[in-house]
Amino acid sequence: MKSFYYGSVLFIFLILPPVAELLESVMIVHMHMQMPLLIIAGMLMAPLFQKNSFLRKWNENGRPGILLFMLTFSYWLLPRTMDEALSSMWIEGFKFISLPFLAGVPLRDSWTKVSNRTKRVVLIVITLLSALMGWIYIFSPNQLCNNYLIVEQVTLGWGFWTMGLCISIYIVYDMFSEKWEESY
Amino acid sequence: MNTIHRNLLSTTIVLLFGFGLFFTGTDGFKAFTAEEARLLKLQEEKPEVPDLVLEDSKRSSYTWDEFQGKYVFITFFYTACTTVCPQLETNMAKVYEQVPRESLGEDIVFLSISFAPDQDTPAALTKYKAYFGSDGETWRMARITDEGELNALLEAFGVIVIPDNNGNFTHNSAFYLVDREGRLQEVLDYRDIDGAAAVVDSYLKMEAN
Repeated sequence: MKSFYYGSVLFIFLILPPVAELLESVMIVHMHMQMPLLIIAGMLMAPLFQKNSFLRKWNENGRPGILLFMLTFSYWLLPRTMDEALSSMWIEGFKFISLPFLAGVPLRDSWTKVSNRTKRVVLIVITLLSALMGWIYIFSPNQLCNNYLIVEQVTLGWGFWTMGLCISIYIVYDMFSEKWEESY
Repeated sequence: MNTIHRNLLSTTIVLLFGFGLFFTGTDGFKAFTAEEARLLKLQEEKPEVPDLVLEDSKRSSYTWDEFQGKYVFITFFYTACTTVCPQLETNMAKVYEQVPRESLGEDIVFLSISFAPDQDTPAALTKYKAYFGSDGETWRMARITDEGELNALLEAFGVIVIPDNNGNFTHNSAFYLVDREGRLQEVLDYRDIDGAAAVVDSYLKMEAN
């Protein structure tokens, strides 16, 4: 239960208005620090939800959970959702609920249940999404978010490519591990 | 219910949720940025031009009644702008050239509105309009001196102007087409000259029939 405790402390810290405002003032911090931290907070809080039979019953093979994580995660990649989180209190609230509880919790619950093959598919999809979003944010001639300048947008794009690169290094590393041979 | 069915059911629910999330979040897959959402909303609402007084390069002042019964093709700019505005006005000039001569001034008026009234005096506007072949009559350049009226117009048309500290502004650019009754009908991509000209043409032709 220690994990849940740490997770809820992190969660409460992140939703404190001054902290949220500070993290959201810089585009790349908003997307690549605040949002992942919210997911991590959810992952830390997951054990409490796993005690309940609900997840065991309805997320038995882990696939619905992974899918829920991917969809929630992708939704928050849209330029529009970032703008709206700043202009609408409801969307901001939805961000604080959806990332921990609809992305973080199902991710932790599912990760141990799904096969190695599914894990690899997930990692590859995230890498491709990062590459795509990076490309959009770097090369878009337009300002995609009304609340952030173009120069911040380009920085965010490079952040995506860096993240994609890191995950692809992990995928290559994973290919040479024993796990890979076991599963094929 | 057995395991396979349960997994299938929860997967379906998750998929439906995801679809609903993206559908509502993007106005039915039509607006992926806040800017696109703004344009979509303008197209639906067709806001009216609020009450205002324009002062043009000839120092004449008038309200929107001046354009009663005419289409007005609008851009927002400021003369000290070195980035997007010259491009915006150049493209506006190219649309202007494509409009049939007999319609100019009769059915449609081109109007460039400055959102920096302090710098953009009639003298500055006169100088600026010469660069783009604006005649001051069928294509006018004007400012709105009353700050409240200017802000009301920018707000109604969803023009976002963020001043930086060096006397410049970050702003979103578009062509705006107001109909004969003073309602905003179209917000057009300012980089698509032929597309904008075609839209203007279709409005003018629609009236003729």
